[in-house]
Amino acid sequence: MEILLALQDGIPLVKEPFSAVATQLGIAPDEVIERLQRLREEKIIRKFGLFVRKSKVGVIANAMVVWAVPSNRVQEVAEFFSRFREVTHCYERRTAPNWRYNVYTVIHGVERKTVNEFVKTLSAAVEVKDYLVLFSVREFVRRSTGRVRPEDSRSAASGALGSGT
Amino acid sequence: MRFVTVEIMLKATGQIDLMDRRLLEKAQDEFPLTLRPWASIGNELGITEREVMERLSGLFRKGAIRKIGPALDAKRVGLRASTLIAMKVPEDMIQNVANMVSKYQDVSHCYEREHEYNFWFTIAARDENELEKMLQEIRRGANVAKDDMLNLQPTRIFKIDVRFQLT
Repeated sequence: MEILLALQDGIPLVKEPFSAVATQLGIAPDEVIERLQRLREEKIIRKFGLFVRKSKVGVIANAMVVWAVPSNRVQEVAEFFSRFREVTHCYERRTAPNWRYNVYTVIHGVERKTVNEFVKTLSAAVEVKDYLVLFSVREFVRRSTGRVRPEDSRSAASGALGSGT
Repeated sequence: MRFVTVEIMLKATGQIDLMDRRLLEKAQDEFPLTLRPWASIGNELGITEREVMERLSGLFRKGAIRKIGPALDAKRVGLRASTLIAMKVPEDMIQNVANMVSKYQDVSHCYEREHEYNFWFTIAARDENELEKMLQEIRRGANVAKDDMLNLQPTRIFKIDVRFQLT
């Protein structure tokens, strides 16, 4: 937990970034590395690496496409969507009164035109015609989910990460 | 589709050269958890540790990198409840509502989108109770009627994999 708290916002750009964290915590660099490897194997760390700021690398259009998929086809359709690299997120969600969409995909592309064309291709392939393409206009927050809170790193109750030490 | 995307991307990223893009792409994937990770990455790309660090530092300055670090599984670090919210917010109120929502540390995405429901965010909490409390606070603070807020709770996650092909 302490390790995650120390580097969840990013490792420093120095020759030995994990040694820097280790010094800060008063443990050996190898221990930091081993623990991170284990956290990654156990998938508590979903991904460790570089996160690009999309707008700066040419990925401009981000659309949430919401689909109304018959419930008996959700699995098949969602798995099909998930195979595409352009689809970065694919979720099934609860519907609401006056809101019948149950499958949510986030699709990234360089321009709206290519995103729209891609969505049409997906729609035709799965034969689901009832969908909305919701383009982003402004981005207000984009940060990693699942931040460790300072109080958690000290509390014994947060045993999820404490095991196996 | 893949090839079209790449071709346009190359044009759009003129100020970032091919080695930069290879570096960004490489470091998005299996990051070497070793004592000197930049040296390992440089090895694979055929450049020195020093060049990796200089290029990354330049990319940070250009704002092309958000961070180099972990993305955690929210559920397993104690955030057991999460949802996607859509709200109808009057255009002239959007920035104020966004400022208020951004203050919640466990809001991970927040966008204005083109639709009647124009304000979208994802939020996580320790449990359903804490989540419900935060949502009420937000709804009241934003002055949004109950019927103008959709709570779209996830039932199954099929994919989360935000990696971009850059070369």
